[in-house]
Amino acid sequence: MPGATLSPWTMSYFSAACLFLVIGQGMMAAGYGYPAADVHAPVTLAVVHILAIGWLGLLMVGALLQFVPVLVAAPLRGRRLALPALGFLILGLLLLVGGFAALAGVEGMSPGLLPFGGLLLVTGFGLVTIMIAATLFAARPLPLPARFIAVGLGALVATILVGAIFTLVLSGAVTHDAAIALVLDAVPLHAALGLAGWLSFTAIGVSYRLLPMFMLAPDEPRATSRAVWWTGAAALALVIACVTAIALGGAAVKWALALAALFAVFAVVLYSTDLVLLFRARRRKSVELNIRASYAAFAALFFAAVLFALPTTRSAAGEGAAAIVYLFVFGWLTGLGLAQLYKIVPFLTWLEYYGPVLGRAAVPRVQDLVEEKRAGVWLCLYYGAVAAATLSLFTDSPAVFRIALVAQFGATVGLIVELVRARALSMVAPPMRYPAGAPSSISFFRSLDHRSNQ
Amino acid sequence: MTPASETLTPQTLVPRELDVRPILRSGGEPFRAIMEAVNGLKPGQAFRLFAPFRPQPLFKVMEGRGFAHEAQEIEGGDWEVLFTPRQTGAPVEASADADDLSVWSDPVEHLDLTELDPPEPMVRILAAAERLRPGDVLFALLSREPIFLFPELAKRGHQWAGNFDETRTTFRMFVRVGTPKA
Repeated sequence: MPGATLSPWTMSYFSAACLFLVIGQGMMAAGYGYPAADVHAPVTLAVVHILAIGWLGLLMVGALLQFVPVLVAAPLRGRRLALPALGFLILGLLLLVGGFAALAGVEGMSPGLLPFGGLLLVTGFGLVTIMIAATLFAARPLPLPARFIAVGLGALVATILVGAIFTLVLSGAVTHDAAIALVLDAVPLHAALGLAGWLSFTAIGVSYRLLPMFMLAPDEPRATSRAVWWTGAAALALVIACVTAIALGGAAVKWALALAALFAVFAVVLYSTDLVLLFRARRRKSVELNIRASYAAFAALFFAAVLFALPTTRSAAGEGAAAIVYLFVFGWLTGLGLAQLYKIVPFLTWLEYYGPVLGRAAVPRVQDLVEEKRAGVWLCLYYGAVAAATLSLFTDSPAVFRIALVAQFGATVGLIVELVRARALSMVAPPMRYPAGAPSSISFFRSLDHRSNQ
Repeated sequence: MTPASETLTPQTLVPRELDVRPILRSGGEPFRAIMEAVNGLKPGQAFRLFAPFRPQPLFKVMEGRGFAHEAQEIEGGDWEVLFTPRQTGAPVEASADADDLSVWSDPVEHLDLTELDPPEPMVRILAAAERLRPGDVLFALLSREPIFLFPELAKRGHQWAGNFDETRTTFRMFVRVGTPKA
């Protein structure tokens, strides 16, 4: 039967993701990682992976488990794998971070943890890939947003496999020349596949469905949207070809990478025009905070692409274009993630708690579960801090960077507190908060679908 | 379980019939009656019209709504026209227990929810279903497929059937109120 039910473990993924975001940003605010340490230093790698896997990865997986069935109007396949996958991912990440800590000289840790972490992460993301891919496969022909997710999954698989090879080399378990060549040459490609391929491409796909829904705009795919898919997929294919070339003992072809970068920037420009057109075509005149905050994230994506495309700004961005990567990760991916969480968490909570009594009792509206003014202040502070931190990386002023990081950390914690309050229904006026017939409790770690008959 | 959308084909639906000859004989205007009948068609249902002349202008109107026509002269110089929905429209989806749509009564309530933000259409439909009596049918227009509504309707014992119109901009659905379960 068509229709989507609540994904029971999405809230667990979100809770874990928020925890890792606080840990990751807390470590940065405390001075761990770049720019105090080298971009390739183990401590930087630990922070990067806490954020990339712990925060962004779990957030994306949790969102996909809930929204892929909505995108293709078919039930999720293998839903029993969701919880084991979460366990593998968290444990794998902790082992990976332990291995990096050993490389950084922390006593009591061993680099031998790295391949075990890699193995668990391959298993966890493998299970996720099986669930999503099987759901998509059963729902062919795929609508455009789902085709973005299919490509994103391909990028995820490539990212994780390359990462697993890295763990084998860094732990000393493998000394094969090709594997060593990958560690020497393919780290930026691993990052590009993960951040731009898996996370961004998937987020773009989901946004093509969610934005029209929230803004009441037409969601017929445009020619530009299809062009975003083609150019983005071509860019990813080129990057994967270069990784394969390195693994086969060759070298990444310079022109292929330049072409991939050109395609990627072009895709971002096309996507930006789509976003502007969508916003103009919306029937809903005053948009909610989550949309306004998402557009700030889109602006960050656009600026990151422009700064990356210009040779002068790219060379001024520091080691490994760190300032641009920072803007990409915190302005675009994290900003969009926080903005969407601010919509998704209240909505899922509302559906879980009030769904069973809709039409039978007076219930609050979804927007009654949140207090937009307060969250708006936190989001403004957040984006302001990201902008300041990015600028400070360009101008090489570590003191400003630390202050901006502390502000960014504070804003993140403030927003997460808002999410917890929404989930706890604490902003709902008491007479409507607990209508008769509604579920007796609500959990932060699991959604109970009181509506399903199973 | 076989998805209901595969078993629920237009062939299982008896065409709706309207004879406008009496209206015309009494000097009335049949267009309104025709449009009401057409608006009340179940997804995928055909429409048979009896008229004292070949209703040429109507062909164009129905064409625009995605119906093909087949006209034949019957005895007495009258005409019988069968309008069948083109297969190009989105397939009809329905709840697992929605068996024979042709026995569903005509909608007693029409809701235009196309301008409402989700999840408000869901709230309105569930509230309307609470008001109506078992067996009553309501018709609703939405701007998108109410994915989260379907399981809630099923849980409450209501049947539904719906699909997108030809332009894929409006989702039309019928909900038949069931006997309360939970």
